[in-house]
Amino acid sequence: MNYKDYINWERMPTTWCPGCAIGTIFKQTTFALAELGLAAEDMTVVSGIGCSGRAAGYFNADSVHVTHGRALPVAEGIKRANPKLKVIVFSGDGDLVGIGGNHLLHSARRDIDLAVICVNNGIYGMTGGQMAPTTPTGEKTLTSPHGTAYAPINIQGIVTSNRRHWFARASTFHIVHLQKVIREAVERPGFAFVEVMGFCIENSGRRLGFKSGHEMLTKLKTDYKLKAGPDGLLGDHELGVVKNDGQNG
Amino acid sequence: MKSLIMGNEAVACGALKAGMTFFAAYPITPASEIMHELAGREPEIVFIHAEDEIASIHMVIGASLAGRKAMTSTSGPGMSLKQEGIGLAHMMEVPLVIVNVQRVGPSTGMPTLPAQGDILQAAHGSHGDYVPIVLSPSSVEECYRYTIEAFNAAEESRSPVILLLDGYIAHLQETVDLDTVSIDPKPRTLAPLGQGRRHFTGLLARDGVPQTKNTAYYREWYARVKAKMLEAAAHYRFFDYQKNSTSDALIIAYGITHRVVSPLRGSHSLFKPVRMFPVLEDEIRAAAAEHDKIIVVEMNDGQYRGEVQKVLRREVLGVSLLGGTISLKEIQERLREL
Repeated sequence: MNYKDYINWERMPTTWCPGCAIGTIFKQTTFALAELGLAAEDMTVVSGIGCSGRAAGYFNADSVHVTHGRALPVAEGIKRANPKLKVIVFSGDGDLVGIGGNHLLHSARRDIDLAVICVNNGIYGMTGGQMAPTTPTGEKTLTSPHGTAYAPINIQGIVTSNRRHWFARASTFHIVHLQKVIREAVERPGFAFVEVMGFCIENSGRRLGFKSGHEMLTKLKTDYKLKAGPDGLLGDHELGVVKNDGQNG
Repeated sequence: MKSLIMGNEAVACGALKAGMTFFAAYPITPASEIMHELAGREPEIVFIHAEDEIASIHMVIGASLAGRKAMTSTSGPGMSLKQEGIGLAHMMEVPLVIVNVQRVGPSTGMPTLPAQGDILQAAHGSHGDYVPIVLSPSSVEECYRYTIEAFNAAEESRSPVILLLDGYIAHLQETVDLDTVSIDPKPRTLAPLGQGRRHFTGLLARDGVPQTKNTAYYREWYARVKAKMLEAAAHYRFFDYQKNSTSDALIIAYGITHRVVSPLRGSHSLFKPVRMFPVLEDEIRAAAAEHDKIIVVEMNDGQYRGEVQKVLRREVLGVSLLGGTISLKEIQERLREL
């Protein structure tokens, strides 16, 4: 299979802005799917609301674009109804961790066989650039004009609080690693969560002083490094996989 | 075989008879017995006690898309939480059944006392325009019968159908012989996920392609969906009309209220709508034409009375039984005052 087989070309071009990170993550996902050789009839993509939520319709497979924050329960309903389908959730941080946070706690706890690709751009981009639960402390947004007072949410902590878990952090810059962990997430039986560090130039970066999407991309190169050792949790600026294949309970 | 069962149990039995194989819900009084009845039936069905009401409606949507007949059950507070999901199911045209066992609201209100206060919510609770099918049973046997019909209506209309119970009917215990009810469950009408390239979305879309700025298409789409709903609903015109030719007064009542007023058939004509929405306009008009006085008796502040008034375009009287209790004596006194 070729990655092009996984793209619904009738829907191109996407709604994403020039310089957006989501396109890269979408494309690396299609590369990973091509490696696995998954047939369109054997998979479904589910997404919620937001820029990343538009991704479902761009895959050349049956897809479902649902309400804000509810991609996980819809995906769980699909998976439980037809366990043969590979169910991939592709959505944003505001959707999966903000408004949909409760479902993340419980889908992860129940270890439902889903591959969740979470585009973390640290902002509510589609609605114009408001503070997200992932926005770094002190960052100015439309709803935090004096800088966010809060610490960003610890997604790794939520997912790995279950004894059996699989969590990966990747970045839009480190695309080989990104593709590898997406592939692993789709293959792994059970709940697999990939947090992909992205960015939004249009409704976040340009207000923070970035000149272009490329400048934000290179900052990911500077800020994030692949984790050296195999054990322990990822540091705030480390990329890698944290897993425990034991039993929950 | 005859057995003594309660309304909620009959709903669960009806769902199984209809071919439901997926159920997700969150516990809430007075609907929980539906969950209890269906729990532990795996692998015959998929049963999920979800983390919340919002998850359960969305799980049911996902399961229906993936090929299973699916249902969720709740009461008023949970019904409020499910409204966005109900709108999604209307937009994506997903068949499923939602049971709302009504209790006294708003908010936590009087949780253990029955009401009929969610009538207008059933019709208009989600945002935007849509045309739902809503059925309201008034006996344990009808809970069974109309649950099966609700599933059939959902398949035929490809929409979420609401079964509206009140706490009395849900907890009413009656001896029934469910084997005497013969309704053929309809086959699935929606091809399951895994066909290749269909896009289901909450956005206005034509063949899976969003049409978010296309006013002309919205109008075309809405006209099609409304016509589809009305056409399907026409096959589910359930009501009961007992005419008393000596009476100039027609009492309209549904659910438990109809049961309580039925001894008045010696002095009044009685009309019971089972299909609450779309409102049975022709049937109500025909029955009303034979009477001077039209009185709607209900456990809310005139919600269905307003709907009847809209259809008849004349004054409709009402007896509102608020706060969770109902008695024939009070109804008779209030009727005399009218």
